[in-house]
Amino acid sequence: MVELAIDNKISRTSIDDPTALPCMTPDAMVGSKPFLAAPDHNTKLGFPGELVDDWKEKAIARMGYLAETNKAFKVYLDTCVKCGACTDKCHYYMGSGDPKNMPVARQDLLRSVYRRYFTFAGKYFPKLVGAVDLTREVLDDWYSYYHQCSQCRRCSVFCPYGIDTAEISMAARDIMDHIGVGQKYCNEIIGKVMDVGNNLGLNAKALKATMEDLEEDLEDETGLEIRIPVDEHGADILLITPSADFFAEPHIDGLMGYAKVFHAAGASWTVSSYASEAANFGMFIGSEENTAVLCNRIRKAAEDLGVKRIIFGECGHAWRVAYNFLNTLAGPFDFLDQNYPIPQHILEYTWDLIERDQLTFDKSKNDEYRVTFHDSCNVSRASRMGDKPGGQFDIPRNVLKAVCNNYYDMPDETIREKTLCCGGGGGLLTDDLMDIRKKGSSPRMHALQQVERDFGVTHMVAICAICKTQFAKMMPEFGFDREAILSAHQLVSNAIVLEGQIDEDDDDDEDMEPEMNGASATGDGS
Amino acid sequence: MSYEVNGATVEHDEEGYITDLSAWNKDLAALIAKDENIDMNDEHWEVVNFLRDYYEEYQIAPAVRVLIKAVKKSMGKEKGNNKYLYTLFPYGPAKQACKIAGLPKPTGCV
Amino acid sequence: MISTLYALLFYVATFLLVAGVSQKIWIYWRTPSPLKVVVTPAPTTNTGVVLRMAREVVLFESLFKSNKWIWVFGWMFHFGLLLVLIRHLRYFTNPVWWWVSLLQTVGIYAGFAMFLGLTGLLIRRIVVNRVRYISAPSDYLMLLLLMAIGFSGLMMRFVLPTDIVAVKTFFLGLLRFNLQPLPMDLPVLVHLGLVVVLMIIFPISKLLHVPGLFFSPSRTQADNAREKRHVGAAPAGR
Repeated sequence: MVELAIDNKISRTSIDDPTALPCMTPDAMVGSKPFLAAPDHNTKLGFPGELVDDWKEKAIARMGYLAETNKAFKVYLDTCVKCGACTDKCHYYMGSGDPKNMPVARQDLLRSVYRRYFTFAGKYFPKLVGAVDLTREVLDDWYSYYHQCSQCRRCSVFCPYGIDTAEISMAARDIMDHIGVGQKYCNEIIGKVMDVGNNLGLNAKALKATMEDLEEDLEDETGLEIRIPVDEHGADILLITPSADFFAEPHIDGLMGYAKVFHAAGASWTVSSYASEAANFGMFIGSEENTAVLCNRIRKAAEDLGVKRIIFGECGHAWRVAYNFLNTLAGPFDFLDQNYPIPQHILEYTWDLIERDQLTFDKSKNDEYRVTFHDSCNVSRASRMGDKPGGQFDIPRNVLKAVCNNYYDMPDETIREKTLCCGGGGGLLTDDLMDIRKKGSSPRMHALQQVERDFGVTHMVAICAICKTQFAKMMPEFGFDREAILSAHQLVSNAIVLEGQIDEDDDDDEDMEPEMNGASATGDGS
Repeated sequence: MSYEVNGATVEHDEEGYITDLSAWNKDLAALIAKDENIDMNDEHWEVVNFLRDYYEEYQIAPAVRVLIKAVKKSMGKEKGNNKYLYTLFPYGPAKQACKIAGLPKPTGCV
Repeated sequence: MISTLYALLFYVATFLLVAGVSQKIWIYWRTPSPLKVVVTPAPTTNTGVVLRMAREVVLFESLFKSNKWIWVFGWMFHFGLLLVLIRHLRYFTNPVWWWVSLLQTVGIYAGFAMFLGLTGLLIRRIVVNRVRYISAPSDYLMLLLLMAIGFSGLMMRFVLPTDIVAVKTFFLGLLRFNLQPLPMDLPVLVHLGLVVVLMIIFPISKLLHVPGLFFSPSRTQADNAREKRHVGAAPAGR
């Protein structure tokens, strides 16, 4: 296809320009569809099990309901002027070239139906204003393309009206859920949280056993009794962290980092087996009721355990829900200590200790890493850390610079408020969406390749469970080591010097993975 | 969606995880492994058996770290790491090994 | 006869514009925001929000971040239009307000800026494949309508001058419900006819971005969820 003149940016080499665009290829991703939720996944969340007979009427009614009860949805549907400012901003468009992955085109899949049934122009002049009837084909497009949006809000930053495609995606998924078309990945997981307390389905017994195992590792590594308490009544701090921190790599190394920081601060803390999940997939499916149910588990855990503070671990969308929604959906939290932010982010906690000179680091412990930082989308554009706007960018970097000597940022158009999503956010981190995940991650991976080339960066740090899992999967696809993705508190953990800890510098296991050297230090006491 | 093994039919989900966990047997595991392009050797079986034992005790697959520790204990230091597990199960020890071991797929941000 | 028709049209169009836009503003106003959805980094205070909005309205800050071409053309058009509208106040005031007279010369050049901006936007819409993909017929027509209004206006000023005193008498008459004749010149009739069309479609078209801008929660909310509990009302039912 011949590209026409101005601004039809065409991909040169991607390492030089991570946000370059590919050739537009209509319907390139039309076949990308996640597995449908089983009927019992749907009914558990209060939705019909399967596509209902009168789905058209139901869908349109739900759309009308959302337009009446959600200002963002209503205003965003009316306000778009199709200026095109967002069209080159979505990582899924950059990666796939499918025009329906341009934010405005993604919104239009729903807007065109809204216009048909709810606006004068669309009712009487549908062709003129691009209004269409709700048909099976339209529904299929919704299912496909609203599951190619990670709700990362990058488009919204660039929109002159702040139109947020995430809001439209969430509404679309909510409408689909209300007619019995749910996504397996999200809906099954929300049900698991309701049953077991976390996305994994990790029960209390297994959680305790795993934490004891980690405590052993920590003792092997440091010679200190560093605890990861579970369900400890009367603790001061309740840590809510993604269950991936109890299970996956490199997440679990981050969790061990939190434990060391709490230990160093002499804090009394606990995790809860009832609310053992920070992530809230209720937001992914745009369901305020389900989001609220999960939020209230956290409140109940805090009340039952009698804690004074709530701190959230490294998790992106979770921090959005915690920071912005928790107070509304499960508050007010007047039973907690009002002298601390409610809730607080683990990085705020660690940075505060660093600022008050409460932590000691040996930065050289991280000298094998030359690191960069991936701003997680929902932390960056849907939350804050600290007192000042932008603290969500500065505090993680401050912490990283406090614990390692070699830090480099990726290109400006790919970090801070313009950060690129990892490609797996918003309910897309599932194997059935691997193709779009890879395409969506490519701009970020090209940005990483750029700093690898220019500064010799070897590792990327993330503060979100989804980002970490997604990158662990994507790194080898782009020529990096699978373990080139790190948790922020993993670096904290490596560098922190705890009072009375044994020195393990003479470790003879040169061939071991850096993450492994701790466990082997004392020759395995288990 | 089902596996046919030794004349029996074992249902599985869209991704190949069996739905009735009690229907698992070694022949089925070998069959699933074959679909995954894995030729089961002793080390594969050791991982699979550990997963099944752990699952029996805790109704969930172990954390990757816990698995690595167990592997290290039985197969030695040089094999007790994530990299080695990936050479055994290229799609990832958690998901692929669970599938072969007849365990449910680990869900969430993992 | 035609004068009467135009007078009538202007009354109807004004009513539809005012009623339609007021109704939309009322709907936007009363529709609840169940959750805090501000796009960050964002101001933490209401004063900060006012400043952020002022930058959006006056400078098109987000658009500037996004795309310099759209920004240049869009800003030229909108601020050209603003000056042109202010200049047009002279047809509705007697005596003309001093600050309106002050903008007399600038207002005329603004007409060219406006036309140029619109032309740029139209070319982009046709030439850039991404923007072409998202454009409906109405998106082109809207630009053409505005260009035709600008063009007919500029024609009147520079090519086929009309009896501008009579035009002013007509509009002052409208304001006082005292019907006066309109000069029967083609550019005037075209210009005013298209303005009537624009006024009528305003509340039912994407021109709603004008009020919509002030109700966009991602911009108008303050980033203070932890400090002040956001109570959004209207919990979503099933």
